[in-house]
Formats: sequence, structure tokens, C-alpha cells
Amino acid sequence: MTRIFSETEVASLKAFIIARALALIPTVLILITLVFFVMRVLPGDPVIAIVGMKAPPERVIELKKELGLMDQAGNPIPLPIQYLNYLSKLVRGDFGRSLIWGKRPVLVEIMEHFPATVELAIAGFIVSIILGLVLGSLGGWMGGKTSSAVKTYGAITYALFIPWIGMLFQLFFAVWLGILPVAGRIDTGLEPPTITGLYLIDSMITGRWDSFISALRHIMLPAITLGLVISGVFTRVTRTSVEEVMRQDFVVAARARGIPEHKILLHVLKNSFVPILTMMGLQLALLMTGAVLTETTFSWPGMGTFLLERIQYRDYTTVQGTVVFFAIIVSLVNLIVDICYAYIDPRIRY
Amino acid sequence: MMGKYVKKRLAVSTAVAAVGIIVALIIGLIGGYFAGSMAVTPATATITVTETVGAKTVTSTVEKTVERTVTSTVEKTVTSVKTVPGAPAVSRIVIGVTDKVTDIDPSNAYDFYTWEVLSNIMGGLMRYAPGTTELEPGLATSYTVSPDGKEYTFRLRPNLYFADGTPMTAEDVVRSVKRVMEINGDPAWLVTDFVEDVVAVDDHTVKFILKEPIAFFPALVATAPYFPVHPAYKPKEIDSDQTAGGVGPYRIVKWVRDVELVLEANPYWWQGAPKTKQIVIKFFKDATALRMALEAGEIDIAWRTLRPTDIQDLKGKKGIKVIEVPGAYIRYIIFNTKIPPFDNPLVRKALAAAVNRKAICERVFLGTTAPLYSMVPMGMWSHKDSFLEKYGEHNLELAKELLKEAGYSETNKLKVELWYTPTHYGDTEVDVATLIKEAWEETGVVEVTLKSAEWTTYLEYTRKGMLGATLYGWYPDYIDPDDYTSPWVNASWTGYAYSNPELIKILKEARVKPSVEERAKLYEEAQDIWAEDAAIVPIFQGKLAIAVREGVEGVILDPTMLFRYWLIYKAS
Repeated sequence: MTRIFSETEVASLKAFIIARALALIPTVLILITLVFFVMRVLPGDPVIAIVGMKAPPERVIELKKELGLMDQAGNPIPLPIQYLNYLSKLVRGDFGRSLIWGKRPVLVEIMEHFPATVELAIAGFIVSIILGLVLGSLGGWMGGKTSSAVKTYGAITYALFIPWIGMLFQLFFAVWLGILPVAGRIDTGLEPPTITGLYLIDSMITGRWDSFISALRHIMLPAITLGLVISGVFTRVTRTSVEEVMRQDFVVAARARGIPEHKILLHVLKNSFVPILTMMGLQLALLMTGAVLTETTFSWPGMGTFLLERIQYRDYTTVQGTVVFFAIIVSLVNLIVDICYAYIDPRIRY
Repeated sequence: MMGKYVKKRLAVSTAVAAVGIIVALIIGLIGGYFAGSMAVTPATATITVTETVGAKTVTSTVEKTVERTVTSTVEKTVTSVKTVPGAPAVSRIVIGVTDKVTDIDPSNAYDFYTWEVLSNIMGGLMRYAPGTTELEPGLATSYTVSPDGKEYTFRLRPNLYFADGTPMTAEDVVRSVKRVMEINGDPAWLVTDFVEDVVAVDDHTVKFILKEPIAFFPALVATAPYFPVHPAYKPKEIDSDQTAGGVGPYRIVKWVRDVELVLEANPYWWQGAPKTKQIVIKFFKDATALRMALEAGEIDIAWRTLRPTDIQDLKGKKGIKVIEVPGAYIRYIIFNTKIPPFDNPLVRKALAAAVNRKAICERVFLGTTAPLYSMVPMGMWSHKDSFLEKYGEHNLELAKELLKEAGYSETNKLKVELWYTPTHYGDTEVDVATLIKEAWEETGVVEVTLKSAEWTTYLEYTRKGMLGATLYGWYPDYIDPDDYTSPWVNASWTGYAYSNPELIKILKEARVKPSVEERAKLYEEAQDIWAEDAAIVPIFQGKLAIAVREGVEGVILDPTMLFRYWLIYKAS
């Protein structure tokens, strides 16, 4: 789409972006505060959970110091001070260190798992958009029985339980037909050199087609599972939106002028796009976080499985860091989506 | 309005587009499969490993003077190991697990699965003979004990090498053990509680000086914290992702945390390189996916941990073999003897008598666990079914009698709270608790309230001595009855739930007595006292189940629960 903005429009768009970006700060701050205090209000002593029942008392004290719960002299640090310490580190990009397995920096661990989630989210997103847009516009355009069929499809897929449908796919495609792998991200020894961290892209860039095919085979089932479940929402929003636009005068006018139907459909789609885009933004954020179940079902080494695993191990700093990271990512995605609206629809300004 | 014809045409074209996308997907799938199967299947290459295993002699003499000598000679010559250049090895076995590797560093690793990996890339001075709980020489050929029982001197095998060819000497043993003591990680107590000092007498002799005589010290030496590690390990800090290993049958060639671990036969191993050249361990997040991967042939072995229902299903599957062996994992109830009504021995005894262990094993675990009547597990020397002898199994009559004696009746019921933790011991935990409640209530004199708390809270409350009856489980640290008895008596982690001076005396004596016979007698006595007090009541012992595809041989499991990768191979 090409649009030429007037100077005032550009200025107003700029102001909108700045205002929206600034609004991000309190949102993220509130999220961080919530995460910080919720983790500390929960019953149970994380230190005992980590060191286990057989640990000597000096280990417990050592770990409390590491966690920032005690100062070097062994006195407990009050909660508000702990909070300020945490914030000041966070501002400097220090997410802290993991409490287990080598005590690696949390951010490094996150960055190792993030590309896998991004890859799965994008693949799932593409599947859901294709399914959602095609079926949704079909329902909206045709109306009648098709519309209700699409409505039912939306309701059913939205209600699907990911592990259940994922397992069915695994059973059918992997165990019975034997054409796709059950789990994992790539075959042993075929990992492409890391450039973006997305195996499909990296293998294409480096021309390693065996890796590409292996990665593609591995991503298919999780992407289809995730895409199918998310597509329900898209189908419903697209259908409703297309139906609404169809009722508008310009469609009737266009038809009266004898404009070809496919051209009208294009205009209808463009006009129904704002709610669809909103949904895309929301779903993209959901995909990032909501891939947990898909990742677990397919042993996909992404952020979802990582977070779940660290919760099980009571790796408090990592869990806290990951949740904050997710919060920032989701806020950023929302910001980008908002900017896109403002671009598409000049009426949207705060 | 839109003409009927136009509407129809549009519908058709949209439908065609949708069908087109689906067809494209299917083509992609099929294409992906064929291209993938061509690209991914490893090229076959031939490996010829010829081995000559010489006479293996294990002589054990126990003399009056507390001196023992164990000698073993294992000679193995690897005459030729040939691979086609550039092609992946054919002898590869893929193992799937839902477990995790924590620190590939014996100074901090303290979980069963990591210990298994460590025991395949490293080795101790002593080790367990596969399929048994008998110790045999590992990196050492023999050891001697000083008359006061406080000094153990181990003689190392000649020509020991790390996986990269670096020679290993007594100095490496000293460095590694001292490193564990200095880092003082989670399992360090296995060294620091017992060892005063360790010195290299010469290149091939290492001496441990103990704080007090410990009869089971050779069993401790077989645990991971005593494994000599490569000099590449950071001397003063935990080296979680260090892949240099120690002196073991395999070496790590690739390590992607939570995704896969690739091991390659170590040509320098003192027993000669193992039969299977490459072991790939794939980490699954979910037991169902693990099972399906086995059925689909993506993995050769499904190891820890399949669900009881999956094990049951796989037993009947063609081309899959399920192997079960008793594990050393036990479950039990702790009664806090300081909290009423559990401070009354009659109540504890009655509840111990009423438990229906068989129902739990059969209904919850579908026969994948076995009823246990002593803290010392079945299959370990000195095990005695003391609880069965004293109370019988699901003995409601005895329970009623004891409760009556304690002053409870149908009108004045005994009210107890039974605590469990919902996820730490698996999804089956609530069922275990429910069946215990059912059995106790069957007496008609007991009213049970089930209560649960998350693991962290559960541990904290237990430590503070706030919970009356709790369900716990135990994985051993070292394979000795001591590890199944001492940790509960007068223990801070249980909130000092159980203490008995007579028992403490016996256990202390059993620790230092040099002869197994004498120790066994003491532990039998201890088990009887244990049953009499009924403060900690054993319920069941876990079994290990492993599912392998047909053609995979050499799977040997025993209560040490460590799977030895170097014994497995694919029959041609």
C-alpha cells in the first residue's frame, strides 16, 4: 500500500509513536514489580528447595547471599531494598545469574532459547494466518451456511487442547505413517551454523539443504498444531469483519458500477484489516508465550519448555528474568502493532 | 446485490485457493519426507572392533587384621577400529530420556541421571559389577585398610589415560577429590563428612585418611564426587558444561543442553573402546513423546521415565522389549513423633498395620512397584521384612485392636491429617495418598483428611516439624544400608521427627564394623527396632523399566540404577 503523508500527518505520527513508546515504561515497570513481589509472596523457601534436604546450613547461607536475600555479613536484606537492587541491575541490562547449572547469566540462557520460539511462532503464525484469512473471508463473503460452518470451525479449533491434538498428529504422522518426526528441532549432527538462530533461515543462507529439510520436517507438526489452534480466532475475526464491511455502502456502490468482484473483495479485505491486525498483534504475543504447550508436546527447545523446566527447578532468578523478558517482548509487539494501526488508519491517534 | 453467478464464481475461486494451499502443504510434506529420508539417513559404514578379553580374576580375601585385597586383571586389546572416512559411524544407539543433566561436574551434580552420565564419561576407583550391588575394582586394582580402619590405600591401574590421551596419575585423584571438598557443592558431604585428607603416595598409589573408621568407604569411593576429572575442569568453581570428562568408556563430542548429548567411544579407556561407537541421548519434555519416538523408531531405547500405563502398553508391542528390574528407590511415610496423635506409638503401629501396600502397587503403579516392608530395600544385603513380620499386610484387625487400646472407637474416631506434595513425586502422588487414606479409614476408627502443599512449602513445613504425617521418597547416595537408615534418625530435615538412642548406637556401630556379616546383623537388629517404633513406615520400592527396540542387546540394570552405555550394542 502506498500512501503519501502530509507534513502534519508525519508530525502527528511521530508524536504518537513517542507517546506510545513512553507509555511502555510504566507498563513494563508495573509488570516487573508484580513479578518481583508475587515471586516473594509465594509460600515455600526457594533456598531449601534448591539445595535439597541434605544440604549443610552453610550452603543455605551462601545461597541466600547469592540470591540477594542476605548481605555479606549474613543479615537479611529488607524487601524494599532487594527490590531497588533488582531494579538498578535490570536497568543496566543485568537479569542476574541462574541459580543452577553453572550459574550462567539469565540473559544468555534466554537468548539461547528465544530463536527456537521465534521460529516456531512465525511458522505457526503463517499457518494460522493462511487458514484464518482464507476460511474467514470465505465465510464472510459467502454468508449463510458457509458462514456458520466457518463459525463452527472457529469455535472447535479455538477449543482444541494443544497436547491432545499434538499427540494425535504425532501418532498419525510419526508413529503410523512414519513420515514426520515425533519431536525435536533437527536431526543429530545437522544443525546449521548459527547466524540468526532460526534453523530454516540459517540453513538457507549457508546453503545446507539437508539441514533445511530436516528442520522443515521437524517444524511441520508443531507449526500446524499451533497454527490450527490459533487460526480459530483469526477465522472468527476475519469473518465478522468482512461481513460488517460487506454491509457498507461502498460495496453496494462498487457493485452498482460493475467493478469486478475480485477487486471489490480486495477493498473489502483492506477495510476489514484493522481488527484483523489487532488480533494478529495479540496473537503474536500469545504465540510467543502460549507456545509452552506446543513446545512441551513436541520437545521443542524454546522459551516455553525452558521456563517450565526452570519453574520445576525453582531457578527463581531465571524464572523472574524470563517473565520480565516476555513482558518486554509482548509490550514491544503491542507497540509495533499500535504503530501499524496508526499508519493504516490515520484516525487512530491518542 | 451480487448476482448468483458472480457469487458462485467467487466461492469456487476461493475454494480452489484453499484447496491449492492444502495440496501445496501435502506436497511439501511428502517432498519433505522423501528428500528428508534421503538426506537424513546416516550413510552406512563398517566398523570392525575385535577384542580379546583376557582372563578376569577377582580374588577377595578378608583377613583377621582388617585387611582386604581385591585384585582384578582385565586385559583388552582393541586390534582394529576402522571407519569409512567422512561417513557417520554405523554403530550408533539413540537413547531417549525425560530426565535432565544438571552439572557435568561431579563437584556439584547430585541427581541420578547426571550421575549416570558421569559414570559413563568418568569412573571411580571402585565400581559396581554390572547387574549386581557388588563392588569391584574400577580405576584401582586393589586397596588395603589400616588396622585402625582410618586409612584406605588404593593402588591404581597402570597406564590410565583421560579421553584425550593425557595420562592419569594418583595426583589427579587427589586434585579431583580436593576440588570437590573446596567447591563444597551439593554432594560434597559424601567426601567432607568422611575424609580428613587425601594424598598421593606415588604415581599409582593414593591414600585416603578418614575422620573415623567407615566400613562402607569403598562404596563411597564408587560415587561421582570421588571420580577423577580432567585437568581442564576449573580448579575452584563448578564447571557445569565442561565436556572434558574423566577416565571412562565414553567422551562427550557434542552437548546441547536439554536437546542432545552425543558420546563417542573413548579409545583410551582401560577396558578398551566399547562396542557401540556412538551413543546419542535425546532429551524429551514429555513421557508420551518419548514413548511415541520409540514406537516410530526414532530412538532405540526409551529410558527414564516412562509412565506405568505406557510400560504396560509397550509390553505387548511387536518389536519392542520391556525390561524390568528392582530399583533402589523407596517411598515411605514419616510420622512426626513429637506431634499428637503420632506421639502415641499405638497410633503409629495401628496405621502401619492398616496400610494396603499391594493395592497401591497394583492400582496406582500397575505392578511397576513392589510392596516394601523395610527401609533397607529388597535386593540389598541385610534386608529384612520387619514390618511384614510385625504387622502383616493390610492387617485391619490388628489396627483396630491397637486403636482400641489407644482409646479410639467408632464414636470417638482418630482424626489425622496426611500430607502429600502433588507434583514432586509425579502425577500418581494424589492416588497414593488416597489409597492410604482409604486403607486407614477401612478400620472404621480413623478419619483422614488429605492435605497437600507445593514441594518448597512441603519441605519447609517438614523441616520446621509442623506436619504430622508426610509422604516422602528416597534415592540412595551410595549403595549401603547406612544410606537407608542414618539419614532419618535425629535428622534436622525431618524436623527431628524420629529419634531412638538405642537405634543411634547400633547404626553408629554398624558404620565402623569391618565385616559385612557383623554389619548385616546390626542392620537386621536396626530394622526390627525401626518396625517396633513405626515412626517411619516404608510403603513401596520402585522398579526400573526400560523399553528397547528389538536388536538392542546388553541392557544390564541393577539397583544402582545407573545404565551402563558401554555394555549395549546392536545385534547385526
